[in-house]
Amino acid sequence: MQRRKFLSLTLGALVLAVAPASVRAEDYRKLKPTVWTAHTVDDAIKNLYGTTTTIEKGVKLSTPDVASSGGAVPVTFSTKIPAKTVSVFQDANPEAAVIVYSVTKYDITDYKIHIKMGKPGTITVVVEGLDGKLYSAKKSLDVALGGCEG
Amino acid sequence: MGTRVKAKLKKGIIKLTIQPSHAMTTYNQAEKKTGNKDDANFITHLSGTINGETVFDMSTSQFLSKNPIFKLKLNGETFKKKEKIIVTWLDRKGNSEAITKKIK
Repeated sequence: MQRRKFLSLTLGALVLAVAPASVRAEDYRKLKPTVWTAHTVDDAIKNLYGTTTTIEKGVKLSTPDVASSGGAVPVTFSTKIPAKTVSVFQDANPEAAVIVYSVTKYDITDYKIHIKMGKPGTITVVVEGLDGKLYSAKKSLDVALGGCEG
Repeated sequence: MGTRVKAKLKKGIIKLTIQPSHAMTTYNQAEKKTGNKDDANFITHLSGTINGETVFDMSTSQFLSKNPIFKLKLNGETFKKKEKIIVTWLDRKGNSEAITKKIK
């Protein structure tokens, strides 16, 4: 019995160790659960990358200056930096994290999403380069109608 | 339910638009509506494959809009028109949908 338990444990550990290498894409909700519960942008970035030091260049970010509806604010962002992950945060909602892209080799890092914003705030896009450095861009915007309801 | 997927290959770049119809209920919205935060439901993961290979992958949160829209671009040099892209999403309650679409 002891031996069987040991075997299954090692097998389990092996599967765990092999899985991330064979599957390049990663589920950041399972991998880094604390990112999604962090209330401030700094905390979320720190929980995801271990640091909040970013270089503010190389990332393009555009949003309307005034969003007509907080229910769907269009956010466009792109970077030419070879990236491992791209993530988006904001400070207008109870939690900060919006999305984390696990960049594949096919990915041309050029994205557009619609996000909810309960009130005016700042959107932060962080690019984790393959060089291990973090690059970021920030944009503050006004929300005419807080359509987010939370 | 239903998810709109558009994949267009032009000059070696695949332009992708994905729009799942999903309520994307936040914790606060759920609490207001039913008094239970746990009723919140939103898409948590979205990914796509072509020929079995993952081409994009994202982990998402409650703060995407209702019926969220995702636009992205992929390097399509190694892919051809009429090849199939499979887009899969998963939400907090465990519902999922997989949509197969031909690249145009």
